[in-house]
Amino acid sequence: MATLDLKGIGKSFGDTEVIRGIDLAVRDGELVVFVGPSGCGKSTMLRMIAGLETVSAGEIRIGERRVDHLPPTDRGIAMVFQSYALYPHKDVRGNLGFALKHAKVDPVEIERRVNAAAEILELGALMDRKPRELSGGQRQRVAIGRAIVREPEVFLFDEPLSNLDAALRVHMRVEILKLHQRLGNTMVYVTHDQVEAMTLADRIVVFRAGAVEQVGTPLELYREPANRFVAGFIGSPAMNFLDARVEGGRVRLGEAAVCDTRAPDGPVTLGLRPEHLRPDEAGPLVGRVSVFEHLGGESFVHLALEGGGTLVAKLDGERAFAPGETCRLSIAPDKCHVFDAEGRRIRPPAAAERAA
Amino acid sequence: MTVRTRLSGVAVHAVLLAWTALALFPLALILINSLKSRKGIFGDALALPNAETFTAKGYASVLTNSDFPLYFGNSLVVTGVALALILLFGAMAAHALSEYRFPGDALIGLYLIIGIMVPIRLGTVALLELIVDLGLANTLTALILVYTAQGLPIAIFIFTEFLRSVSREIKDSARIDGLSEYRIFLEVVLPLVRPVIATVAVFSMIPIWNDLWFPLILSPGEGTRTVTLGVQQFIGQYTVDWGAVLAALSVAILPVLVMYVIFSRQLIRGITAGAVKG
Repeated sequence: MATLDLKGIGKSFGDTEVIRGIDLAVRDGELVVFVGPSGCGKSTMLRMIAGLETVSAGEIRIGERRVDHLPPTDRGIAMVFQSYALYPHKDVRGNLGFALKHAKVDPVEIERRVNAAAEILELGALMDRKPRELSGGQRQRVAIGRAIVREPEVFLFDEPLSNLDAALRVHMRVEILKLHQRLGNTMVYVTHDQVEAMTLADRIVVFRAGAVEQVGTPLELYREPANRFVAGFIGSPAMNFLDARVEGGRVRLGEAAVCDTRAPDGPVTLGLRPEHLRPDEAGPLVGRVSVFEHLGGESFVHLALEGGGTLVAKLDGERAFAPGETCRLSIAPDKCHVFDAEGRRIRPPAAAERAA
Repeated sequence: MTVRTRLSGVAVHAVLLAWTALALFPLALILINSLKSRKGIFGDALALPNAETFTAKGYASVLTNSDFPLYFGNSLVVTGVALALILLFGAMAAHALSEYRFPGDALIGLYLIIGIMVPIRLGTVALLELIVDLGLANTLTALILVYTAQGLPIAIFIFTEFLRSVSREIKDSARIDGLSEYRIFLEVVLPLVRPVIATVAVFSMIPIWNDLWFPLILSPGEGTRTVTLGVQQFIGQYTVDWGAVLAALSVAILPVLVMYVIFSRQLIRGITAGAVKG
């Protein structure tokens, strides 16, 4: 059990700065997800916490202990890798106990911890198999078990579900969540999949180009994204962005006034989530249906707007649209996000903020 | 199976069988004639030994009337020790080159591998001077050192290619498990590349075992002769004891054969690794 503190972390490879000025305090028992597009530095950050990469600047503390100068094994962490990284020449039991055997832990204690981990992860029947005789999901469970037996203060997960097929991924996601509830350890989880981030995280850290864009609970990020990047990254399908302008404290899309804003007069970007659009014969958004995707319970309508630009709306499964058909949509004023020219979100007026 | 695939299977096997026959023919010739009298050898080299031409005199003179067991031992020591050193240092160098980034790593890699292109025999004179200066002339140590140097470039080249394919995450995982870099190499990396070790072992062993050049130049002394050099004593200026020469050669094939049988499974896996999804 421990907190994890990052202070002013930077990382450079030669002259290339890949991570700069990361500050983050992970609370005891919290599951924090690092999310971002590939190459954003989230995995490098995780590897620095693990001690697999050196830190160019700043300090890392686990609990009260400063660890950034310690080798990985002395940091009180355990890591689960994307490729599982099991030792192919050892059976499941050997894989689970390897770290302890090396740390010269008493064999009785090793046996106890290995069996305990095997029980948690239901590996009992597989103990004498080699990794190549296991399925992807089983290998992943062994990899997690190997982390558990070390009884670490902080668990690190590096995209652990990316190699699994979609159905198994959903299943293992739930398993990891259960595991977190059961063990109550501090966990840091890296993924590029925003759905994984939303479902797993106590708090999400959004990375872009080596810096943190926003830290917050999944709902905070969804409701109050700090900027256009976070807004576009969180939520599926992604948020629609339309060019709009502000006149006298109101955002106008074409001629229609859409919502109130604190922004000064001038061009802004209007962000609309697909799920907040409703078919409405009097609505301000008019477009021609280009693609209609029906998923059963819900449907996605892709529109080419009259004023230019495209838009995706997520509707209930009741009504079908044909390509070429004209579709009008209305916008809930309290669900609008307004971004300035630099992409920063402009907070809505007080009344609208309460409703959001 | 369609007729077409069955036909192509037959064709492939016909080619392979023909190749096998071609490759085995000289060996068979040596074995057959090593069991024949001089008259039998020159009478009809291709005939199997019969009651009239059969003799084991060649083997007898090789095993009793000469120092052949000594030569055989010398060859085994030189090949065995050189092979062990090649495998150990080759794998270590390759691990360093494939795992760590350090200033000049590319240059060092190139330097180590350039030996593949430059035959070591070009440096024979310098090597001889060096060995004499070191006081190692007529010792097995001289041969071991030279063969180790000779075998390293190709060993490093093959090992580097395969060690690069060992997943970085497994090594990282071992680091988190608390293994030192040496133990990662010995306990995690080496077991993963066992087939490659066998491949390098076989490819490195044969040129050393068969070499005549360096024993002749560096260690021609009576006590340090290897098999290939020792066989020469049966080839006189005026008479050649062909029975003994062929018998000696037949015996000399044995260790290579044994080695191949031991490693063949691994060897085949090593050669086909990557080509076939394993």
